[in-house]
Amino acid sequence: MAKQGYKQIKRMTPAMRIIHWVNVVSMIIAIATGLYIAAPYYQTFIADPAVDKYVMAWNRWGHFIVAIIFDVTSILVAYLFFFSRFEQPYKKVLPTAKNIKEFSAVAVNLLTLNRKKNFDSTHTDSFNTVYFSIFHLLLAWMLFTGLQMYVHGLASGESSIGAWWPAMLHLVTDWTIPVSSWMLGGFDSNMATLMDVRITHHYTMWFLIVWVVFHIYYQVWRTIFWKEADIAIVIGGSKFVKEDKSSKELDTH
Amino acid sequence: MGTNKEESVKKLFTAESAKIDTNRGEPYYDELFIKCQNRLEDLKQLKPLNNRMDFTQSIEEQGLERRDFFKWASATTAMLMLPASFTPLVAEAAVLMNRVPVIWVELSDCAGNSEALLRSDGPQIDEIILDIISLEFHETLQAASGHQAEKQMEEAMEHFKGKYLLFVEGAVPLGMDGNFGTIGAGGETFVDHLHRAAEGAAAVVAVGSCATYGGIPAAAPNPTDAVGVMDVVKGKPLINISACPANPSNMVGVILHYVLTGAVPELDSLLRPKFAFGYRIHDNCERRAHFDAGEYVEEWGDEGAKNNFCLYKVGCKGPMTFNNCSIIRYNEGVNWPIGVGRGCIGCSEPDFWDKYAYERPMSNANIKAPTGGVEKTVDEFGLGLLTAAGVGIAIHAAASAVVGKKEDGGEA
Ligand code: SF4
Repeated sequence: MAKQGYKQIKRMTPAMRIIHWVNVVSMIIAIATGLYIAAPYYQTFIADPAVDKYVMAWNRWGHFIVAIIFDVTSILVAYLFFFSRFEQPYKKVLPTAKNIKEFSAVAVNLLTLNRKKNFDSTHTDSFNTVYFSIFHLLLAWMLFTGLQMYVHGLASGESSIGAWWPAMLHLVTDWTIPVSSWMLGGFDSNMATLMDVRITHHYTMWFLIVWVVFHIYYQVWRTIFWKEADIAIVIGGSKFVKEDKSSKELDTH
Repeated sequence: MGTNKEESVKKLFTAESAKIDTNRGEPYYDELFIKCQNRLEDLKQLKPLNNRMDFTQSIEEQGLERRDFFKWASATTAMLMLPASFTPLVAEAAVLMNRVPVIWVELSDCAGNSEALLRSDGPQIDEIILDIISLEFHETLQAASGHQAEKQMEEAMEHFKGKYLLFVEGAVPLGMDGNFGTIGAGGETFVDHLHRAAEGAAAVVAVGSCATYGGIPAAAPNPTDAVGVMDVVKGKPLINISACPANPSNMVGVILHYVLTGAVPELDSLLRPKFAFGYRIHDNCERRAHFDAGEYVEEWGDEGAKNNFCLYKVGCKGPMTFNNCSIIRYNEGVNWPIGVGRGCIGCSEPDFWDKYAYERPMSNANIKAPTGGVEKTVDEFGLGLLTAAGVGIAIHAAASAVVGKKEDGGEA
């Protein structure tokens, strides 16, 4: 039920919302376990026999499982990016005149602390779409570098699901070794090493955390200052806008 | 260092990490067997070079039995990833090793690889074999010096032109026109020396991490602009036997493979023989169970250390290092770094001194920030970034709360 004078606008389908929350949980687990894998920050009881503990192994297991869940949601998101029947986000990241105008208008809105709001806030705007795309690029980098480190353990060329799996991982992720080294030192850097992949994987975690911090802040900020209940989108799937605004917007969908 | 742009771009898309094919199917091995047999027949026709010792005789002189030798031959066959049927051929090849001339040059190095051969606890078969190879020239080991040594090298290069294996130990300093390192009475720079020695070589073998990737001389800030042999020598078959020092077993393996097949063994993208560098240390480490259990040495000499716990938290880099020392160890299986209770420092990987050898987990290490120069840890950098974002957000939020009260903004 919309409040008098307000119109309810659908913004996220149930599938999108499920993906969002699965990603949230996966990310928390990935960071907690990933930090342990990088440098085990708690100790196990030394008196327990080793067979009962398996602490690092559980951490790695958890890390890989959420990585695979991330893989799957990423594939879904990549599909929706181009072929969604709801909104196709790729249309919003293309550098067309309209998108650039909208992107700047939203940025100006943020920078002027909501003094200026010269854009239509009923649909997903270009600014947020670009921001989400950055998230998925960072995530894709995590997946490729993570799988590259993972395949080191399959040096025999075999795996529980067959030899195709390590072969495919090498094919798909080996390029991250020189690219990581290039990221860390440019073309004139020293030789590409496996350690470079680890370092960029670890850096990217920090970029993702910073991404999340701004993302949460920005959604809360919008909710408070725009007064359109933006924060409800990710739970109920819709937000509310003043009647006159939404009516002119509806036909663009 | 030393790679130009075009090559770097090419590398971006053609990188390959270790992939090993341990079983190439029967037809392949049948063909190889015949090829090796023919090759050994040919070698047998040649006379041993420079009245080298007879192999069987030197084995007996060292108090080893023929049985030991055959045990060694079957282990080496396995190490080279050949089927057991090749064992007699490997044994035969070992005996014929004195027919392959080797020239050994030293550049920016500590002679540690030569030391590794000489300082084992007793003569091992690997070392005896390296004794009987026809080492025509070795700067550290030979008696000759000065002009005499130079003449000896020239003679060896002339006499065995196109046939000798060139072993190179040490990095190549390129700074100051190569003048950081010169050799001999004529003051020849290391680069020129290497080029001259490589010209007539059948193949070049870079031993140790310095010769392979520049190693310690090339560590930051690399004052001498040191690089590995593969950045200098082009257009020759090149084999890298990295590690600090390179394992004598792997050196013998490479020579044996060459004697046996006349070709270099299968190499990975860093030109290291796959039979030696195809496996990760961590996957064959005796402390792995403690790694999985989360049992770590927290500091040197603690309860964990006494119980042989995993060395990951004191900086073991076994998880990122490819080498066979966790399988064959050093000095014919006596021990190896992790076995004696200190972590792997990744000495067989490129840039190991800067990127692996800091004896802490990677996330606690002083690794160069992306801008170069400044030493920062990844986590400090990340936390800094997060703080900056937090401060920015706090300012924005406070400012919004104070001045951003306008509800509808400045809508036109
Ligand atoms: S000691 Fe090193 S190689 Fe061995 S299990 Fe621990 S981390 Fe891995």
